[in-house]
Amino acid sequence: MRKVTKRAVAALLVAVLVIFGCCVYIYRYLKDGAFWAGYFGNENITSTSILTDRNGTVLATISSGEISYADSSTMREACYQLLGDGTGNISTGALSCFSGRLSGFSYIFGTTRPKDTSLELTVDADLQVTAYEAMGSQNGAVIACNYKTGEILCTVSTPAQDPLYPSDEPEEGTYLNKGISSTLTPGSTFKLVTLSAALETVPNIYSEEFTCEGSTVINGVEINCTGEHGTEDIYDALANSCNVAFAEITQEVGSDALSSYVDKLGFTSSHDINGIPTAAGSFVKADDGTADLSWSGIGQYQDLVCPFSELRLVSAIANHGRLAEPTLLVRSLNVQETQLLKASTADAMKKFMRNNVESVYGDSTFPGLTMCGKTGTAEVGDGDNHSWFTGFLDDEEHPYAIVVVVEHGGYGLSNAGAIANTVLQEAVANGD
Amino acid sequence: MLREKYENEVWAYVLDDRSKKVIPLNHWEILFGRSKSCDVVINDPSADRVQGVLSRSESGAWTLHGIFTKSNVSVNGRVCGENGMSVHTGDVIGIGRKKVVFEDIPASKRAELDSRREAAGYAIGPGLTLLGLTVFQAFLMLEQTANAAPENIRSIALGYSALALLEWFCYAIMRSVGRTGFEVETLAFFLSTIGLSVVASSAPEDILKEILLLIAGIALFFLLGWWLRDLERTKKYRFAVAALSLILLVLNLALSTVTNGARNWIEIGGFSIQPSELIKVAYIYVGAATLDRLFSTKNLIRYIIFSAICVMGLAIMGDFGTALIFFATFLVISYMRSGSIATVALALTGAGMAGFMVLSIRPYVAQRFANWGHVWEDVYGTGYQQTRTMSAAAAGGLFGKGAGNGWLKDIFAANTDMVFGVICEELGLLIALLAILAVLVLAFFAVRSAAHGRSSYYVIAACATGSMLLIQLSLNVFGSMDILPFTGVTFPFVSKGGTSLLSCWMLLAFIKAADTRRGASFVVRSASRGSDSDAEGGEEAS
Repeated sequence: MRKVTKRAVAALLVAVLVIFGCCVYIYRYLKDGAFWAGYFGNENITSTSILTDRNGTVLATISSGEISYADSSTMREACYQLLGDGTGNISTGALSCFSGRLSGFSYIFGTTRPKDTSLELTVDADLQVTAYEAMGSQNGAVIACNYKTGEILCTVSTPAQDPLYPSDEPEEGTYLNKGISSTLTPGSTFKLVTLSAALETVPNIYSEEFTCEGSTVINGVEINCTGEHGTEDIYDALANSCNVAFAEITQEVGSDALSSYVDKLGFTSSHDINGIPTAAGSFVKADDGTADLSWSGIGQYQDLVCPFSELRLVSAIANHGRLAEPTLLVRSLNVQETQLLKASTADAMKKFMRNNVESVYGDSTFPGLTMCGKTGTAEVGDGDNHSWFTGFLDDEEHPYAIVVVVEHGGYGLSNAGAIANTVLQEAVANGD
Repeated sequence: MLREKYENEVWAYVLDDRSKKVIPLNHWEILFGRSKSCDVVINDPSADRVQGVLSRSESGAWTLHGIFTKSNVSVNGRVCGENGMSVHTGDVIGIGRKKVVFEDIPASKRAELDSRREAAGYAIGPGLTLLGLTVFQAFLMLEQTANAAPENIRSIALGYSALALLEWFCYAIMRSVGRTGFEVETLAFFLSTIGLSVVASSAPEDILKEILLLIAGIALFFLLGWWLRDLERTKKYRFAVAALSLILLVLNLALSTVTNGARNWIEIGGFSIQPSELIKVAYIYVGAATLDRLFSTKNLIRYIIFSAICVMGLAIMGDFGTALIFFATFLVISYMRSGSIATVALALTGAGMAGFMVLSIRPYVAQRFANWGHVWEDVYGTGYQQTRTMSAAAAGGLFGKGAGNGWLKDIFAANTDMVFGVICEELGLLIALLAILAVLVLAFFAVRSAAHGRSSYYVIAACATGSMLLIQLSLNVFGSMDILPFTGVTFPFVSKGGTSLLSCWMLLAFIKAADTRRGASFVVRSASRGSDSDAEGGEEAS
């Protein structure tokens, strides 16, 4: 008998599997419950939920599973990737990602929505339209936020389409919110990363002098510059976006330090906006002393960056290194803060970025704004360069940060810089 | 009920000749041998690892069976073979060169010993837990009637009242025959309550039918329980039961019509019967065996052939879920019988190949495997049921939206295959987890009883039942939640579906049969009584 009774343990093995299965279920419930509940919940609850912008403008209305959008077709297109189209084509769309919140979901009480609900997004619908119109027929992304509160004021991606009249074969990139879901060659905007590392790791960086004669040779490979900048200090080097100087600075920082700063500043990781994951960039470590390393510090080589990571960096610089994590929901609990940079480094970086505008880009380019910025003109294999502008307003009243990228848009300042100006002028006028 | 003290029964003693050590015999089947896992361990190099089985019959007569090995077993010096020799007090049992003296315990002495054991229901009165369940039912009834359509209120209220009456009636019967263990039944009634709630929300017109089935199920539970009391009778009819189930299987294949890709129903006079559910009961009845049979290879091979026919038959019917339940139960039973991992591994390999064949022949089964883990990619096609189950389940939160307030109940097969979703949505995740826990406790109880079982037949049957219920539960719950492939089987006691409910109650009798606490189970005769004078119980089933 003892033989048989001992083997009764076989039945316990099945019990262990059942318990394990329950744990898997509970884990998945906590992870995806809101999504599950919202998926058919909206079909089966007859009340209405409304998605609005920060000023109460209705962006979408869900009633008995039917979605209706804003009246203006331009606004519908401007908010296309932000909202999604209700079919799941755009995985980061607010309609699918916040479906649990729209159906009033909580883990304890499930969906409790006897009455109509509304959910307020932090974006400004008018600013969405301004940014969308400023992009014109060009492809790319605009993403702006308030760097004190983290509220995302606008996120526009082009090409877009009208969710009421979706195309069967939309243009490539239509289903992507490029501001948070794409990675692109950053070009000179990446010099902000290299400089942050240099300020903290290269001791005599302020006293160094660089000489630019249009190009330099590193380990037998020529690195060309956009002009002949002559003798410069570190301020001039960034303002001129001098490749020759930054080729040298990158070597002084070194491969290990640069790579660790890229990771530390969050460029290679995926972030989370109220549950929406962002794309993680990539950075390939080149050997010390090689031209590849220099190119990687200039934002070329194999560097790929998500515009959202750039927004985090400039927001942190603007706010003394303390990053208010960007959010899309007005009622998110507290401002979530991350100390991305040392306060001293951030303040120094702010001086550099302000100097860029004062001495090279010109305050007249951004009339009435105290702009701090950095342009980028990223060389890509196919066609024209990507045009970048990243920056923020040094203005207590209007603490806005912005990243603009125009694919194949040519020179950074004249294209992306102009769009950033248009959007921020509107934001200041609206007083967001 | 799991914490209650469990004391061994003592049936006889053997006396070690040389060391003068007295070894009590706690079961009806005692294994002698050199192996440490034997009940009476013979520390003598001349003995084999497993040498002989001493078994007690219903009437109290003891028989020694030799197991064919290189050394011999003897009674009073006469060699004992496979056919067995009877043993009486004072007889000398020889195992190899070792000798022990057998001493039976007379009925009067045993009564005295037995009265010293702790009675079941000592720690927590089963009446109290049943009262708790009745309060739960009353709450559920109030909630459900408040949410129901006016024309259904009467039948829902009647349904719950009938259920409450039924459980107290059963309790009264148990008390009247002097049995105090009612935990197993209480758990089954708890699950039935949840089942009734699901029926009341999804198909209120079928409540009367559900109650009638429940009564029939309980009647069958008593009947099978009474039948199992007599081990000799139980053993004698194993072949008949096996033959009967094979006939049922053939009938099913011949008469059934295809419904939803599976041919597992037969229609008789307006009632649809699922023979595979009844075969489940037969399968355990046939699969369990007494210790003296366990060591016979012939017996095991017969059982393997029987299993193979059952599983193949179900696979041909397209009832892949039930085939899987049978197979997993087969693994448990065959491990408990042989104790050999190698046998189980062999069976697994064979089944793996067979399963592969089924998958390649039956496209609809293959498709269910293909969409496993990808249900959200096709919510209007292959993922239809799972995605809706998950969505509704999540919508319920921890406490649910209230009985009758969900939307999943209106979807086809909601009260059978997707029943876990309905429970989560309407009664909440906590109650749903409690339902799983109830089945888990049934299985744990079976395993716990195993250590004190009288015969290995009851032990194997109870553990196999526990495993079978758990496997069925996993396929139902995890299948509808996309953790396992969706196979469309029922949640024990909870899913609506006549035959399934009947078979679950019958299976419960097997668990009851292993409960040897004093005066706990009506399936187990009191140790204190002589077998012939034990006339109580059983009749109430008719």
